[in-house]
Amino acid sequence: MLIDDPALLAEFVTESRDHLADVEAQLLEIEASGADVNVELVNTVFRSIHSIKGAAGFMGLEVINKLSHSLENVLGKIRNREMVPTSAAVDVMLKSADVLASLINDIDNSDSVDVSTEIALLDRIHAEGAVELPPASSEAAPAQHESSPEDGKLAEPAAATPEPTATSQPPAEVTPAKAPAPSAPATSTPHESSVRVQVGVLDQLMNLAGELVLGRNQLLQTVGTQDQEGIQGVAARLDQVTSELQEAIMQTRMQPIGNVFNKFPRIVRDLSAKLKKQCDVVMEGKEVEVDKTIIEAIGDPLTHIIRNSVDHGVELPDARVAASKGATGTITLRAYHRAGNVRIDISDDGAGIDAKRLKDKAVAKGLITIDQADQLSDREAIMLIFHPGLSTAERVSDVSGRGVGMDVVRTNIEKIGGTVELESEPGVGTSLQITLPLTLAIIPSMLVRCRGARFAIPQVNIVELVRVREHEVADRISFVKDSSVLRLRGSLLPLVPLDRALKLLPGESSKSTSESSGTRHIVVLESGQTRYGLVVDQIDDSEEIVVKPLGQHLKSSSCLAGATILGDGHVAPILDVTGIASGCDINSTAEEAAEHHAERSATTADNTDVQSLLLFANCEGDHFAVPMGLVDRIERVRCDQIDSVGGQELLQYRGTSLPLLSVERLIKAAPRAESRNVHVVVFSVHGREAGLIAPQLSDIRQIAAEIDGDTFREPGVAGSLVIDEQTTRLLDLYELAQVAHPEWFVDKPKANAQGDRQQTILLAEDSTFFRKQVAQYIEGEGFRIVDAADGELAWEVLAAGEEPIDLVVTDIEMPNLDGLGLTRRIRGSAAHSHLPIIALTSLASEEDHQRGFEAGVDEYQTKFDRERVMNAIHKLLERVPARQ
Amino acid sequence: MIPENSLAVNDTELNVTTQTADTTTATEMQLVTFHVGELLLGIPIEFVQEINRNLDMTLVPHAPDHVRGVINLRGEVTTVVDLGKVLGFSPTEIATGSRNIIVRFNEETIGLLVDSVADILTIKTAEIAETPANVPAGDGRYFNGVHRTGDALIVILDVEEVLATS
Repeated sequence: MLIDDPALLAEFVTESRDHLADVEAQLLEIEASGADVNVELVNTVFRSIHSIKGAAGFMGLEVINKLSHSLENVLGKIRNREMVPTSAAVDVMLKSADVLASLINDIDNSDSVDVSTEIALLDRIHAEGAVELPPASSEAAPAQHESSPEDGKLAEPAAATPEPTATSQPPAEVTPAKAPAPSAPATSTPHESSVRVQVGVLDQLMNLAGELVLGRNQLLQTVGTQDQEGIQGVAARLDQVTSELQEAIMQTRMQPIGNVFNKFPRIVRDLSAKLKKQCDVVMEGKEVEVDKTIIEAIGDPLTHIIRNSVDHGVELPDARVAASKGATGTITLRAYHRAGNVRIDISDDGAGIDAKRLKDKAVAKGLITIDQADQLSDREAIMLIFHPGLSTAERVSDVSGRGVGMDVVRTNIEKIGGTVELESEPGVGTSLQITLPLTLAIIPSMLVRCRGARFAIPQVNIVELVRVREHEVADRISFVKDSSVLRLRGSLLPLVPLDRALKLLPGESSKSTSESSGTRHIVVLESGQTRYGLVVDQIDDSEEIVVKPLGQHLKSSSCLAGATILGDGHVAPILDVTGIASGCDINSTAEEAAEHHAERSATTADNTDVQSLLLFANCEGDHFAVPMGLVDRIERVRCDQIDSVGGQELLQYRGTSLPLLSVERLIKAAPRAESRNVHVVVFSVHGREAGLIAPQLSDIRQIAAEIDGDTFREPGVAGSLVIDEQTTRLLDLYELAQVAHPEWFVDKPKANAQGDRQQTILLAEDSTFFRKQVAQYIEGEGFRIVDAADGELAWEVLAAGEEPIDLVVTDIEMPNLDGLGLTRRIRGSAAHSHLPIIALTSLASEEDHQRGFEAGVDEYQTKFDRERVMNAIHKLLERVPARQ
Repeated sequence: MIPENSLAVNDTELNVTTQTADTTTATEMQLVTFHVGELLLGIPIEFVQEINRNLDMTLVPHAPDHVRGVINLRGEVTTVVDLGKVLGFSPTEIATGSRNIIVRFNEETIGLLVDSVADILTIKTAEIAETPANVPAGDGRYFNGVHRTGDALIVILDVEEVLATS
């Protein structure tokens, strides 16, 4: 007879769930402490089960009552130290707790479920104690098997098992025994329809609601009086209350991430037992709170990752010992806050991911070609794991290989605005980092305009904002067929005009984004592996937006992630960064662009070097440029701070005086225009600091123009180039300083001869200007230069063997054979592999450096920085003789 | 779930009432009538949540042709369907008479953009006749019959069919 009071029943269910939620973890802990029974802990579990039993009895829930009674009996025995909680016994207890949970979750039908198996098992344990566990308890046996070889803590109870032979048979029996057990689905967290809120938070909410009402009353009153100032006051107050209210309400939705984590020890325990592995779980940051929707969404992906770690990551105990690691693997789960996000790291100390196997597999499955596979770095290769249709499991087990791959994990995480990163080192382990937003309901976003319409872009996808001014468009944006790419710090970024991606019709307010002239506004976006620039008409402002779903008629658009209502009441669609990328086929654009770029470099080989130049004017019409790489910093000073002592201008600066150089005194130039302030470009030369007076700074630009090294050549001027139709002289800071202060350079090391032979440097550089420039300053220090116009020619010089080359200085971007190719060829040849190699670049990103060092480059230097280049040459040459 | 059932009910009602037109227990229904293109249309009042002049629509990229945009309806982003477009006329032009008839469908609020709202009429279901073949606009699948009032012919719009299939 079931008590017919839904309210009472509901309360029983809630209460029992609470009790059971902790029981699992507690039982695992009891298992871990083995014979050294923690009575207090056992008591806690006992009380929980006892409460359920009592209430169930009162409510007339017979099956629940009976099962909890049997469970309680066993616990009682452990509590009284009459039996040792072996793994086997705990296993049965865990299963029973699972069944109990499933009964409670389906309370109406609980009385018709057959739980005699569980009761029988429990009763047998109770009757016989753990010592005489019969082989019939098939569930228990594999766990026992697992625990027996384990070190230390579990050895004792396992030793108590009299029948070690039992270990070889039970696995066969596992399956039939498990099949009827309804326990498996019950482990997943029941979907909560109610949330527990701290009384404090509730009180705070009530207070804020009160404030809100007060604010409203004030507003109504003030609006009546037309008192402008008063309205502003009320608005400020309402603004504050609303923000606080928002925060407090969000607080009610926050739940500790431990709610998800807590089920993992059990999953790992069961799984490792099944796979005959040994695994510990370490969890940190269980108290970190995230929004309830995220808690719900993250459960499955995390479970999958954990299962993967146990299945593929952690090796079998023998293999671990062989690899001189402890037999027991460790899976670490760590949650923490970082930069307004929640990070979850899942790492294991297992075998790591075999990049080669992954590549082979991807090739075998036709996901990539062999050529592509060869080009992938190991780091890129392990990212293949996220490729749909690739499961690393060699065999299909019931643990993995159920058609749910890491690609689904990644998609699911990205769906809730998160990202996944993967690192793996063979033999050391694998680590996954998941970054999640704190909440999904309110997201920071950037508002942009396109063809008069406004759109919101989630901040989480935005990498940076780039403005390309009209006169830079030709330099920085190139068109490939229908698509365009942006040159951004040495790499090419595919561009997607928003109006085209969204097929927007021409609005009245603006012309087409892609073809129109004027400044281009580009939002650089990142989604997964793809990075692209979205071209918009205008970038407005950042705003916290509330995400609203779109109706069923608009669900089909993959470019939109929803809509939001802006401050002025208008609706703005929220862009789906991933959707736009896939809709526009970004990757092929990028490839085409790269090809195109390569072609261009081949045909117009002389001017592909992009220089970062600081541009300034001395007076109207007299323009100069300085390589940005040499500039330490730029100061703005008042002219009256500059003293002139004996013809030398000095700036009293940070307690010392900085010698200043002015252009018109050193080279042919018109005197600088009178002004109150000037800029001083501070640079170092020969261990000293000096400043160049730059009266009017114009810009810092990436320029790929050809440099003319003859027309304006004089000491201090390296050459000239045309920027925006203006002839601009490129200054050589080193020479300028030399002209102004020859005494600074008297101790310069001269004549670099090794024995009686002049040392020879092979210089590979395609730009005539730079070839001259670099050769000149190297020769100026007593070296002999053999130059070559590209990598191929340089290699021919080396291969011919007629010149005794001591060191190679090479440009990176060259036609026929580039600097990296040359480096690889040199490193690969027996005769020349010892040669020191210095790579010269105009602009280099970290990535470029990395690629260079991987190819075998010894030093990376900027072309204009002659001091560093020379230092590197001296340093490397000193090293070589020692080697010979 | 709701649409199919109620559709079935409507159909049977129609059949029954048209065949036994002399039944004295004919039920009544209220229609909200409005103009779309050259048609005078009516929809049962139960569907209608409100009628407003909130025509400040935001265009939605990639939206189907007949979706005019979205409006902010007291904090809900509400889809607006252009009835003219659904019925195969030219897109509804926004004029002083234009209105959004806000209906509830599948737990969602949707706006129907119409040229003007006419009246609310109470009619007897028994007086609903089958849609004549010469009613313009499509194959008639969006219509549930016609009602003649004086010299005006009200075409009864099957809201559920319009919103489910469009």
